[in-house]
Amino acid sequence: MEERIVKFISALRSGGVRVSLAESADAFSAVDNLGVQERDAFRLSLRATLVKDAESLPTFEELFPLFFGSGEPPPLMNLMEDLTEEEANMLAQALQEFGQRLREMLERLLRGEELSQEELDALGQMVGLNQADDLRYREWMARRMQRALQFEQVRKAMQEIMELLAQMGMNKERLDQMRELIGQNMESLREQLRQHAGQRIAENMAEQRPEDQIEGLMDRPFQALSDSDMQKLRQEVRRLAALLRSRIALRQKRAKTGHLDAKATIRANLKHGGVPFHIKHRDRTLKPKLVVICDISTSMRHCSELMLSLLYELQDQVSKSHAFAFIDHLEYITPDFQGNRANEAIQQVLIRMPPGYYSTDLGHSLQNFSDDYLDTIDHRTTLIVVGDGRNNYNDPRLDIFRKMARRSRRTLWLNPELPMLWGTGDSDMLDYVPLCDTILQVSTLSELTAAVDQLLVEKS
Amino acid sequence: MNTTSAFQSIEETTVSLGGQQYIANDEIATTVYLSQQLGKPLLTEGPAGVGKTELAKAVAGSLGRSLIRLQCYEGLDETKALYEWEYAKQLLYTQLLRDQLQQTLAGAKSLADAADRLTDEEDVFFSMRFLLQRPLLRAILSDEPVVLLIDEIDRADAEFEAFLLEVLSDFQVSVPELGTLEANHVPIVVLTSNNTRELSEALKRRCLYLFIDYPSLEQELDVVRLKVPDLAPQMARQAVELVQSLRQIDLRKHPSISETLDWAQALVTLNSESLDRKTLETTLSVLLKHETDLRKVQRQLGRMDGQDDDEDETDWDEELPRRRRRID
Repeated sequence: MEERIVKFISALRSGGVRVSLAESADAFSAVDNLGVQERDAFRLSLRATLVKDAESLPTFEELFPLFFGSGEPPPLMNLMEDLTEEEANMLAQALQEFGQRLREMLERLLRGEELSQEELDALGQMVGLNQADDLRYREWMARRMQRALQFEQVRKAMQEIMELLAQMGMNKERLDQMRELIGQNMESLREQLRQHAGQRIAENMAEQRPEDQIEGLMDRPFQALSDSDMQKLRQEVRRLAALLRSRIALRQKRAKTGHLDAKATIRANLKHGGVPFHIKHRDRTLKPKLVVICDISTSMRHCSELMLSLLYELQDQVSKSHAFAFIDHLEYITPDFQGNRANEAIQQVLIRMPPGYYSTDLGHSLQNFSDDYLDTIDHRTTLIVVGDGRNNYNDPRLDIFRKMARRSRRTLWLNPELPMLWGTGDSDMLDYVPLCDTILQVSTLSELTAAVDQLLVEKS
Repeated sequence: MNTTSAFQSIEETTVSLGGQQYIANDEIATTVYLSQQLGKPLLTEGPAGVGKTELAKAVAGSLGRSLIRLQCYEGLDETKALYEWEYAKQLLYTQLLRDQLQQTLAGAKSLADAADRLTDEEDVFFSMRFLLQRPLLRAILSDEPVVLLIDEIDRADAEFEAFLLEVLSDFQVSVPELGTLEANHVPIVVLTSNNTRELSEALKRRCLYLFIDYPSLEQELDVVRLKVPDLAPQMARQAVELVQSLRQIDLRKHPSISETLDWAQALVTLNSESLDRKTLETTLSVLLKHETDLRKVQRQLGRMDGQDDDEDETDWDEELPRRRRRID
């Protein structure tokens, strides 16, 4: 049992749930306390100790039955048993009509035979189940296994058999009954496949070592990130944000350069009999105001998304922020973030603004900005552009960008491209460079984090 | 273990929480029981108004322990949460005891001697006498076991959270002048969070986690029956069904259990006999606290009613713009 729990924990980890050593120790002592006899208490004792995040609860609920079986798939029923001889003959005759493989499958369904473990393994091998290590592939894998079993053909064949049998004059009531049973049998087989797929994937997940990966991912260029990598990074962003937050908070606390705070000074020096040994100053908040303009075309999406996620996690360190996204035109996307995670918000925006090929137009987007939102930039604002400066040979509208840069306190450009590529092809980056105060090349998450950290240091 | 101040089993937990008018499902009872058995703090999360704070009160009530509550807010620091020296009192005492001190120091041969004598008396001023105990220290030093409720921890700063770690893992506090103070009895700690921000991993690691969601229809009905027994059963069911369906709609703020209870109480107070449109219209604001939500729901209800009888529909449509004008 212990081994099973350990496996379960590592599957949780690779499913993206953070489980520390201390927490797994807690899980064991909780299980010692409540025992494993009562399934529900067992589940709850694992859940309360291992999962500390409402968002991870679904992962837990999905994996738990896969490891500590929710019970068998519904049993299959044998139809052949209660057939009369005449009926059996008719059936045998009808079955003759089909090819070897189909017939085997049909007979299996009629007799209500489950798939054996070896058969399941062979099927899994065939569809590449051993490489799958993400539960999102579960349904897909199950479907592929069904296809390998020719489920669709079998279903059609069953239909035909039923018709044949009806022609041969089998009792209609009887036929309906058979049809229903066969339907149920197919359903149970399907469930069996599903469970097998889930269990296999869960076990593959348990064997993975997620910790090694995140380090590598931090330094992997955005272009080389797959969707599952992004999933992991999204969680990483939250951790980084927490880290940055406490660092920034400390920094702001120490950066007290404001006026004398008379009340606090008196209070602090009461212990010295009112002699002001320690001078207290009023806090001075240096929280920046941000306007972020993000390119969310296909090439830039990962970078922009992570940037926005970071910023929105750090919302409380920023006095005000406005986010805009553009591909061929500009949209105000701050409202999308209310109550949403950054990736969901970006998805929403992408639905409104489907990316086309070669449609990025920063010039036009800047025009939009200056028409509608120029007032979001004032002398306290830091303007951040996340983009590669590739403009598809459209007008870069440097005049507008100059105006924006002049209005803002400082202008920061984050570009994931290598500096040597700037100015090549349709890149207008070199034209924008002289207008920005700071340009950072950020092609990995660690660079991005460093950039955001920099951003919030800002001296007044 | 003392029978009055600890749960013996999960069943007993459910029953004695029930005795405090708190209907605990298996999840809640099991987790509360576990947290007591393992001596770990319990972190409860969930939408506002599902009874997280109430749970701590119920636990305290059913164990016969007193409840010490620490309400978190932005800027909360150690001096407000743990302890503070009473400077004013110390100052006052120094002034009043001046003569005494002079006596003590009289006859000192050298400055060093005087300083030594003074040092001997120092303990008087840095003793428990001048220590102002705040909730955390009170919970730790209490002579009898208590329940410590740290409410809305997500509102406190991240630094405060880090500071809590020491207290929550060892149940001891170090006061530089006095040394380390250890807990006489390990308190049962309940933390609540509305999830407005991510809590630190370290804090989560030290706690057991309980997510309390909105209750199911039957559970909520039980709560309403328990807390507002005067409401007719038929009405109660209708009301709870309506609240449950409201939670399905995309609203800015969904009605919580406490709001359901307020509403039920309002229905009793108004002597309503059925949930007709007029009643709804006058009392819906108890459930929904945002103007936009209110309007959205009224529109939906109007549509639902419209299917039953067409006559009223026209009525309703006229009603709506008028309301809206008043709002604007």
